[in-house]
Amino acid sequence: MVDKSVAGSGSGFSELLNLSMSATPESVTAITDAISAILVKLEIPESKRFEIDLAVQEALANAVVHGCDGDPSKTIRCRLNKDQEGHIVITVTDPGPGFKPEALKDPHQPENLYGDHGRGVYLIRQLMDEVQFDRGGSEIKMWKY
Amino acid sequence: MDINVRKRSQAQLIQLRGPLRMGPAVDGLRQAMEEILNSGDTRIVINLAEVPMIDSSGIGLLVRFLASSKQRGGSIKLVQPSKFAIQTLRLVGVLNLFEIFDNDDAAVESFV
Repeated sequence: MVDKSVAGSGSGFSELLNLSMSATPESVTAITDAISAILVKLEIPESKRFEIDLAVQEALANAVVHGCDGDPSKTIRCRLNKDQEGHIVITVTDPGPGFKPEALKDPHQPENLYGDHGRGVYLIRQLMDEVQFDRGGSEIKMWKY
Repeated sequence: MDINVRKRSQAQLIQLRGPLRMGPAVDGLRQAMEEILNSGDTRIVINLAEVPMIDSSGIGLLVRFLASSKQRGGSIKLVQPSKFAIQTLRLVGVLNLFEIFDNDDAAVESFV
């Protein structure tokens, strides 16, 4: 289930999408696809769009798996904005207890290369220009310049 | 995601179409590879030509089954990953774990 609202303003800061979703993989796909469609309309270049799409996918997947323990009765919020400088800003908030980003392992270390998890936040940091964690790690804010 | 598996001489060829990401796509590929390994085949070719995106859960699946197949004397070889798939695999440091081929035939024949 996805509740969607779209709004805008003339102040230079635009809210392009504000969504609440149930914590399911299907909702992740729906929101990622919705954001991708908006980025196409904004004429964001393909390479940059790909990087944003994947970062959004990773942030939402983390929120579902870790922030909600895969419980579809829980709700995740996702916002897509364009700030005064024209940067794309995406915020994903989950109801979980958060985590310590600094405690994450480096996926490039030999002992982690064949691991089946632990790459999502690393990828987000590589793909986006700025990443900020708030609310103890249960909210991630990502910028693409 | 469409997942098509067929036997090609000495290898199992998996043809994927669509994003390889958390949910039905990753679950379906996991099931397909489990069935291949459980049947005793360890030589797997995955054609990624029509896979525009691989997320971290897809990468985790690929490297986990690469390790499993190698432990049993086989491997997983990739065919025609998109430039974005290559970029993603490189970013997390696993691109060099895989042999990559331009076409299915070359990948299958490399198992000889």
